[in-house]
Amino acid sequence: MSLPRLPLTVIGGYLGAGKTTLINRLLREDHGQRVLVMVNDFGAINIDADLLVSADGDTMTLTNGCVCCTMGADLFMAMGDALDRRPRPDHLLIEASGIADPARIATAARAEPDMAYGGIAVVVDALHWGALADDAQIGAQIRGQVAAADLLLISKAEGGVPPALAARLAALSAAPQIDVADCAAVAPLLLGGLAPLQGKRDGGGHPAYVGWSHEGDEAMTRAALAAKLAQAPQALYRIKGLVAAPDSTGWEVQVVGRSIEIKPALDRVARTRLVAIGPQSAIARAQIADWWSQG
Amino acid sequence: MSGITVFQAAKIITMDPNRPTATHVAVRDGHVLAVGDAACADQWGRVRHDNRLAETVLMPGFVEGHSHMSETCFWDYTYVGFHDRVDPDGQPWPGLTEIGAVLARLKDAAVRLGPDEPLIAWGFDPIFLSSARLTRDHLDSVTADRPVVVLFSSGHLMCVNSAALAAVGYDRASNVEGIQRRPDGEPNGELHEMAAMFPVMRRIGMDFRTRSHQRAYVDAFGRICRRSGVTTATDLFAMVTQEGAEALAQATVRPEYPVRIVPAVSTLHSTPEEVRAQMADLRRVNHDKLRFGAVKLMTDGSIQGFSARILWPGYVGGQPNGIWNMPPAQIHATCAMMQQAGIQMHIHTNGDEASTVVLDALSAAARAHPWPGARHVLQHAQMMGPALFARAAELGVCVNLFANHIWYFGDQHAALTIGPDRAARMDACRAALDAGLTMAIHSDAPVTPMGPLFTAWCAVNRLTMSGRTLGAAQRITVPEALYAITMGAARTLKLEAEIGSIETGKRADFVVLAEDPLAIDPVRLKDLPVLGTVIDGHVDAMI
Repeated sequence: MSLPRLPLTVIGGYLGAGKTTLINRLLREDHGQRVLVMVNDFGAINIDADLLVSADGDTMTLTNGCVCCTMGADLFMAMGDALDRRPRPDHLLIEASGIADPARIATAARAEPDMAYGGIAVVVDALHWGALADDAQIGAQIRGQVAAADLLLISKAEGGVPPALAARLAALSAAPQIDVADCAAVAPLLLGGLAPLQGKRDGGGHPAYVGWSHEGDEAMTRAALAAKLAQAPQALYRIKGLVAAPDSTGWEVQVVGRSIEIKPALDRVARTRLVAIGPQSAIARAQIADWWSQG
Repeated sequence: MSGITVFQAAKIITMDPNRPTATHVAVRDGHVLAVGDAACADQWGRVRHDNRLAETVLMPGFVEGHSHMSETCFWDYTYVGFHDRVDPDGQPWPGLTEIGAVLARLKDAAVRLGPDEPLIAWGFDPIFLSSARLTRDHLDSVTADRPVVVLFSSGHLMCVNSAALAAVGYDRASNVEGIQRRPDGEPNGELHEMAAMFPVMRRIGMDFRTRSHQRAYVDAFGRICRRSGVTTATDLFAMVTQEGAEALAQATVRPEYPVRIVPAVSTLHSTPEEVRAQMADLRRVNHDKLRFGAVKLMTDGSIQGFSARILWPGYVGGQPNGIWNMPPAQIHATCAMMQQAGIQMHIHTNGDEASTVVLDALSAAARAHPWPGARHVLQHAQMMGPALFARAAELGVCVNLFANHIWYFGDQHAALTIGPDRAARMDACRAALDAGLTMAIHSDAPVTPMGPLFTAWCAVNRLTMSGRTLGAAQRITVPEALYAITMGAARTLKLEAEIGSIETGKRADFVVLAEDPLAIDPVRLKDLPVLGTVIDGHVDAMI
């Protein structure tokens, strides 16, 4: 049995957009995954003492199995360290620095055979993004972050995402736009996990996600699988799983927003198993099932 | 060493205006006791005369204000660059000007490898080669049974053979930006940017993070410095852990270690208290030859990589403006925070827009947290002109200009990046001195080889690889250039009370030269042989 691939999700967005808030939220949620989070500024991570197992100079270990650390001298070598950890984490999440191009980091997950592409989530501050995007000095890099995103997480949009902002973002990126205030939980978006969100609603009455899971005997070629995934309902945020192949080991699938990633599976795939999520407001479980079952 | 030793030299150039030249220097306790003639120290008691340097010319040991200790890590690998280069052990590696020669050197290196060792080479620079592009097929012809990896000098590219591609599973189906392809869709071996290169580097064990502060590499760095006459060198943008700092302290503390190391660390902290605490911990390991205390900031990229932030009219090819490593708002916040914490900054700015933003930030920081002795340094500052230099002078800010660029990249800057008008006023040493600034000049080793005399030659002659004089008006004199590589650089490190000149009270750090740099034709400055160095009065550092 090979070690499972380590999925990497990159969180981009300018200083103050809400990346740290998002990470603090993720670390507290009950997602059941051992997530390794690499951040720029350790000081901003705010973990209740009762959730902490230990905290030393640059690493915090949480009672839920998550670990938060700084990336140190070399981001890519730090990714190597994450891969070499035993047990290997279930998911790696990297906070890109405020001006960084998140694609420069996330591309490593496509390139590295031991990693899986978990997408780029860019946090967009609804109050300030427009001005930043027009800034003569940093506008191009700010717009570039959005263009690289697979998911756009809108923060500080009290009372909904302003239509003008939505239109501007849509012109730069086909990525789904998600108001983080509406999210029952952020883990399904960032990690693509399924178990904790099946049919679950949060207490606050926010719209929840629709989760879909599937297990079956179908076997597909890479080309057929790619064609199938390309036709997936637009509203789906994430799809992931293993798909059996007629004459090879099988495929590992990671879909984030409009990004589709297919890698050969590391071990033989006996049965196809997939999970997907989308917003309850935009998609029904039956629609997802229809898409997959239709020849 | 409690006795007095009087060294005799053919000439001593002191950099002390009170006694510009001498024939003898007396040393006690590792410091200069007296300078003058054979009797200069007689009033201090019994002296021992040392005539080993009698035929040589002594100067204050050179100070390299912008270098990186990682240079030595690359010498684990085979050098295949266009320019001649000398390794830490003094072996010359002639530059390779066509692909056939590169392949021949790789084949030679492959023979000497252990059974499972990958073949790694560095310094390859195709912009100077007119022959065909290097591909996996070329490298397969070197050896097919092990990975072959050729790193390009820019640091952003590599070319690998089929065995390396197979090790990371790159093939026609790979959906990875950065994998360059042949017309048939198969990878051609060239990989662009770290994301695509990292899986290869991970599998061949290329991890420089801690290596350059380990004993063997620290020793090799000392040999490089000694060979180029450097007795104080910076490690700019060192990312160190406390353990790494302690290892570096142990490796440099020995009396025979030939160079003082001044690291400028990168810091991730964001409050004055945290940075102060980090620097206090690092300073605790300091000794005479190790000086933690400053930090390094990266603001923009490089001009030749079109990633420097430059002002109107931008790049001549219409390339988009460069990228910020730190957004201007963060440059402002960090400068204010460091100024408040009382920590000196070495700030990388290549383009003139980046230099302008940094001066704005330093100006605001100076108003908020007055600190007359801050002496922050703009590093590279390649496109600063008189107006920006004047602002730096007002703020007490120093510059360390990248004079070596004129020879290595000057032709490219005129033709491809910023055009001849602005190329002619790059690394404007004349304007910086005329503005009254403290100025150093540097190699940025390993970007270009360490060699202060070469750097001085660049600032004096401003010749490019093609032989043109790039911006004659910005040339400086030989004495000014020699000052820049001694006292000027020492001032940027706040060490001018200890090093940079040969005068009573200073550390006995000398460079031993074969000829008088003030007497030779200035175009020969780069060829003047360095015979060795003296550190704390120890002459055992002769080559």
